[in-house]
Amino acid sequence: MKRLWFALVAASLTPVVLAGQRDVSTRLAGHVPPAVVAQVQGLADTAVARGLPVDPLVNKALEGAVKGAPPDRIVAAVRTVLQQLDRASDALRPVGVTGANAIEAGAFAIAAGLDSGQVATVARSADRAHPAATALQVVATLVALGVPPGRGVGLVQATIRAGEPLGDLVSLPSRLQVAMAGGVPPAAAAEGLERAALNHLTPKAQGHGKGQGNPHRP
Amino acid sequence: MELKGDPDGVVVQAVLAGDVDQYGVLVRRYQNRYARYAAQLLGSADDAEDAVQDAFVRAYDQLAQCRDPDNFAGWFFLILRNRCFAQRRRFRREAGLDSVPNVPAADNVEAPLEQAERQKALQGALAMLTMEQREVFVLKHVEELSYEEIAARVGTTVAALKMRMHRAYDRLRELLKEMR
Amino acid sequence: MSRGFDPLVKQMLDGERTIADLPPELHAEAAEALRLQSAIDRRDVSLSRGLEARVMAAVRARADSPAKRAWRWLVAPSVPRWAIGALAAASLAALLIGRSSSKQTTPPVTASQPAESAYVKFVLYAPGAHRVALAGTFNQWDAGATLLARAGDQGVWTVTVALPIGQHQYAFVVDGRRWVTDPAAPNVDDGFGRRNSIMSVTPTSGPAL
Repeated sequence: MKRLWFALVAASLTPVVLAGQRDVSTRLAGHVPPAVVAQVQGLADTAVARGLPVDPLVNKALEGAVKGAPPDRIVAAVRTVLQQLDRASDALRPVGVTGANAIEAGAFAIAAGLDSGQVATVARSADRAHPAATALQVVATLVALGVPPGRGVGLVQATIRAGEPLGDLVSLPSRLQVAMAGGVPPAAAAEGLERAALNHLTPKAQGHGKGQGNPHRP
Repeated sequence: MELKGDPDGVVVQAVLAGDVDQYGVLVRRYQNRYARYAAQLLGSADDAEDAVQDAFVRAYDQLAQCRDPDNFAGWFFLILRNRCFAQRRRFRREAGLDSVPNVPAADNVEAPLEQAERQKALQGALAMLTMEQREVFVLKHVEELSYEEIAARVGTTVAALKMRMHRAYDRLRELLKEMR
Repeated sequence: MSRGFDPLVKQMLDGERTIADLPPELHAEAAEALRLQSAIDRRDVSLSRGLEARVMAAVRARADSPAKRAWRWLVAPSVPRWAIGALAAASLAALLIGRSSSKQTTPPVTASQPAESAYVKFVLYAPGAHRVALAGTFNQWDAGATLLARAGDQGVWTVTVALPIGQHQYAFVVDGRRWVTDPAAPNVDDGFGRRNSIMSVTPTSGPAL
């Protein structure tokens, strides 16, 4: 079943990847100097060869152009995006995560400040109910909000381990911001949310026991 | 030209562009969708009508802030919910401990006598719960949403909802024993 | 004080178990719970036809001059801006569950809304500005494609666009030269010495109530 799933993913990726490859020169022409087009095309070819998405590279080049960055800065930024995608892919492959969404989410997490090990840790915590891509996007957003990377990883792990539904994982950044709006610094707010997750055990995990001391209003 | 069959997003943009009459399309489309929820929450169809009317006017006032006009219904629900919770103080003050709220108006076939009695008893017991407990009960068992759907709509966690609901079950059991 | 229902019976009420799953000693209690459940009144409620007329009368009375409307919008109680950003940034995917991993090339922003996208409203307070644009991954960073409009005369600029489902980076461009991040959203390094705001867009959630 897993093999079939991989085959389907690969099949659905291929046309998009090929289209992306053709697209690079067309999309960049007129926005960046020809030399830059050529260099970005080269980086895109490398991305394709490694099974990495191409869109983020093109977007970064267009961004650099409109922000008036010099050509070598643009190429450097695109190269950085490729490196982030690469690092993410390398971190995720041993954990069995290979989808383009997960790789982009992993690259985003690295851009936000996580290291490869932390990306792998988050991906390892993922399960059927909490896909790796979502977990990585959540942790990246938490870090972008000011939560230290290690703390963010811990919070996401605790939420998944507590068996909380996917919606509760996804809502972590907004719940964090609610606490921050009350004057709590990001790290402390994340710690509070982690404690809440650790305190909560689902009835299945808990077995036949009665409810714990509960922080929630009835 | 009325936008009767058009998606909510189109109607909203038309209203925002100045065609106020098109707002009636949204009112007709949604006035009964949450009527049962409001009636169960507030205990009477009359109170529900007040809340729904109030919510529509407020929604018009804030229409430019509707972030997802194609999901006007979901956004309107939050405004209505807000109105219902704001009305709870009035409801509590006027309803004494002994008064059982009106059974909501219905167009359908009458239930057999014993069933009607049990329904009335449960309605009375529901009135004794906190607003939050009554809401989760209504959304799960009357509107038949999942905990995840409820959590997404009211902005809380599934864990908190389950705790709330389980307290409601206990309270209802207690109240219904006393009523026998 | 009478005891509450056994946790297993509560799980049955929640729809997570059937009575067959419960041990025999709980069957009586389960039957009591099922009687409670059968007493739930699910009849539809219809409100009176007069409601629409009353709403429209109130609405038409409010719809006087456009300037008054804009002012009312500005001062109306609203979701605080940090919450708008938080909700936007935090609303991640149902999208990523169970969908194919093919990534869409970003379509141009148009007035008609494609199926897999959502309206998002951007707001910036820039009282001294003459022109405010929005540039991001969703419009190929074209600083002329998406202009904000003044809302009222208090320095607030807004635009509502249809964004494809997914993750986006963006920033505001003020007077064609000043790049400004969205104060209501989280941001990341852009690789060019500035920062980009980030926003995740999800499909409209769930079945209708």
